[in-house]
Amino acid sequence: MIKKAITGILGVICALLIGAVIMLVQGFHPLETYGALFQFSLLGAGPTATTLKNSVPLVLTGLSAAIAFASGPVNLGQPGQFVMGALAATFGGLYLHLPPALEIPILALLGMAGGAAFAGIAALLRMAFNMSEFISTLMLNMMADLFAAWAIAFPLMDPKAFSPMTRQIDQAGWLGELGGFSATILFMVVALAVSWFVFQRWRAGYEWRISGQNSLFARLGGCDIGRNFLAVMLFTGALAGLAGGLLVMGGPHRFLKGLGANYAWDGVMVAIVAGNGLVGTLLYGIFFSAIETGALGMELITNVPSEIAQVLQAVLVLVIVAGREYLGASLDRAEARRRAKGRTA
Amino acid sequence: MNVFVGLLNGMIAGATPILLAALGGAFTYYAGMFNIAMEGMMLAGAFAAVIGSYFLHSWVAGMAFAVAGALVLALVFILFSVVLRTDEFVTGIALNLFALGATTYLLRQTFHVKGVFTSPGIVAVPRVDVPFVDKVPVLGDVLSGQNLIVYLSVLAVAVTQYIVFGTRFGLRLRAAGYSAACLDSSGVSSSSVRIKSLVLCGIFCGLAGAFLSLGYVRLFSENMSAGRGWISLAAIILVGGNPLGIALISLVFGFFDGTGLLLQNYGVPSQFSAMIPYAATLVALYAYSMKGRRRS
Repeated sequence: MIKKAITGILGVICALLIGAVIMLVQGFHPLETYGALFQFSLLGAGPTATTLKNSVPLVLTGLSAAIAFASGPVNLGQPGQFVMGALAATFGGLYLHLPPALEIPILALLGMAGGAAFAGIAALLRMAFNMSEFISTLMLNMMADLFAAWAIAFPLMDPKAFSPMTRQIDQAGWLGELGGFSATILFMVVALAVSWFVFQRWRAGYEWRISGQNSLFARLGGCDIGRNFLAVMLFTGALAGLAGGLLVMGGPHRFLKGLGANYAWDGVMVAIVAGNGLVGTLLYGIFFSAIETGALGMELITNVPSEIAQVLQAVLVLVIVAGREYLGASLDRAEARRRAKGRTA
Repeated sequence: MNVFVGLLNGMIAGATPILLAALGGAFTYYAGMFNIAMEGMMLAGAFAAVIGSYFLHSWVAGMAFAVAGALVLALVFILFSVVLRTDEFVTGIALNLFALGATTYLLRQTFHVKGVFTSPGIVAVPRVDVPFVDKVPVLGDVLSGQNLIVYLSVLAVAVTQYIVFGTRFGLRLRAAGYSAACLDSSGVSSSSVRIKSLVLCGIFCGLAGAFLSLGYVRLFSENMSAGRGWISLAAIILVGGNPLGIALISLVFGFFDGTGLLLQNYGVPSQFSAMIPYAATLVALYAYSMKGRRRS
């Protein structure tokens, strides 16, 4: 645990240094830029609330990827499941008119159902035809994007809008603010708690983790590999779908063209950086969100384009992951040497 | 007849970038690497091609820049996955996202536009008329007058086939994939073979990128590669890396790409016709797994 924290912090520092070099080469002032970046994302209650709100889709898709990768299935379909979840929640919000106490949970469930159903397609293709979910989820991502583009341009298009988007969903389904913080954060905390409980404390989660570490051992131990595979795909699909649904309910209240374009891929990066750990996913998700949120404010007072956030994130991923494996190995070596010395003395 | 010629030309245009990227990936596939960075390399190549062509006013410079741009990503891949031994899958995903972020950032930084950059100052790669063949009716319309990179990609199939199966390097390449430990113990460093295979992959993906941005259009748009790198990965897996197989399957994908454009003329929404190549990949994956099942 301590080792993880050390390698993580060192990795972040190295990555920020590399980012500073990139800025220097481009003729920007790194300290000023970073100052502005974190001033607009973490300084004070307002920016922190925005950062936390923006972290919701990152953390949820990150959890989805982390649980999938740690359990075996290479579910890279978070972008598609996210879009289908958002579309399902929007569809519900357009045609269901219930009191908020019913509307909100139903829309959230619809989002989860949309994501889970879309992940289910890839799971069924794997189970029935042995088609690799790695490729099929990627292809389904593209198809989900195109399907959503069609849905909001033709059947669900707002006739009054000038670009493809749906009408706003019923106000009963809007997630507002609780004491200055978006209510979607509450959903994220609950989803994280449930995921942690299922994954770390439940028998099902234990079977998933064992299958992820050694599928043969799990099978010989009596786990039903096929059922676990389906369960993981549906569970992680539901998480990604929930992220999409919450984005619609808490944000623009409608499905716009290009909604949440990169959130899901960023979530996959978060999971990778966190080494598929659930707590790590939360921490890195908030950190990535801080960079993205701060970048928009930074653009206003410095000349640095906000797109630098994407570059910084990719550098973070590479440096932290490479650093973890490299540093982890050398820390282990140092530990072994120390023990060997202690034994001879 | 015009529809037929149009379909064939559409097929060739759709197949070329996938073919080049897949041939590049074939080298790393034979070397036993799980390289999924073709998407990013292609995107970096497409962007660098526009830079070179726009600022130096020459398509040759554009192609050279494209190869250089993709090679930069290949070098980062080498640094992380071969030298530092980071997981190849993780490196690939991070590199693809890095390419997307970096090209979007540089697009904004260099040309001060968001989304798409197009300009009459970008010099496209020329079409080549093959003498004598261009006089033949129908056949001449398809075999002649194609983009230079199309002919290069045909050449690339032969070159790849020769390198992998006809040279000493090819033998070592396949040995690195078959058993890296055996290769190392016989005195040839499998790491250096893998580095060379990644460099080759970078060159091919760079050309694929140049075709995207300087071939039939002269522009760069965000995320221009649009999943073609993933389709090329599927193509490699489906035929087990064989260059001739890759050529065939790329043409099949190109055909579906071309059909999509054709269907648009008959009132099918463009969003659905654009899904066809991805759906075709799923169908190909299905056929592949059924073939595998029958064998076992």
